[in-house]
Amino acid sequence: MSKPTLDDQAFKEELSDLIPHLRAFARSLCGNATAADDLAQEAMLKAWKARASYQAGTNLKAWAFTILRNLFYSEKRRSWRRQQLDPEVAEATLVAPDSAGSALDLLALRNGLTFLPEDQREALVLVGAGGLSYEETAEICGCAVGTIKSRVSRARKALFEILESNEARYSGDSTLSASEAFDDIMRQADDLSRDHPADARN
Amino acid sequence: MSYRASTMGKEAKPDPDTERSRKVRQKRIGDQLRRLYDDVTSEPVPDEFLSLLEQADNSSKQK
Repeated sequence: MSKPTLDDQAFKEELSDLIPHLRAFARSLCGNATAADDLAQEAMLKAWKARASYQAGTNLKAWAFTILRNLFYSEKRRSWRRQQLDPEVAEATLVAPDSAGSALDLLALRNGLTFLPEDQREALVLVGAGGLSYEETAEICGCAVGTIKSRVSRARKALFEILESNEARYSGDSTLSASEAFDDIMRQADDLSRDHPADARN
Repeated sequence: MSYRASTMGKEAKPDPDTERSRKVRQKRIGDQLRRLYDDVTSEPVPDEFLSLLEQADNSSKQK
């Protein structure tokens, strides 16, 4: 009995539509935008090569995410394993054209995510942002549905605690809003650059 | 932190206000998480991706 398969043209179109999601999932795994795009590109090409094993009618997104995730974990020494927040990404987040407060929140969230264990972070991202079901996520991560549920719940709790304690660090005063905190940081930065001209010791 | 630890003590049944504000903040984190992801999916896809896919397609057609 033969499995239904997509013809190459249809597969290519569906895979192309998934590229934004491959990039977003990769970004959540890598933290570094350049490394993430490398990973997403390799995953895309791997998915293309493996297209004969994709069964039409099943979830292509979950299938492609599985490939991307396996690639990420199988090549532990590749550059995309670095978890540090890319300074350029941080900067881009800070100068995002919306309200400063919200940009600061997103930066804090991005930072907070790096403190989560990998297995919790990926579960939270897939379920909480990637729009995948617990079942699909379990399939992608190769574990039981119950395990994913518990990872997501632990990740939510941990992230909440991390962000709450971050907030405490930004300001001892709970009435200080994020945008005020941002202004405050920028003011301090201004002051610093005035006090220490560019040629000052570091 | 120590303040929170003491309010979460054994007899501390979370009062409705604390509970509600916790839920609100949790929800906000959830919204931001989606936003972080959607920010990437709404970026234009770098040309490199599509040209790599075209290349792969062309080379498989030649075989």
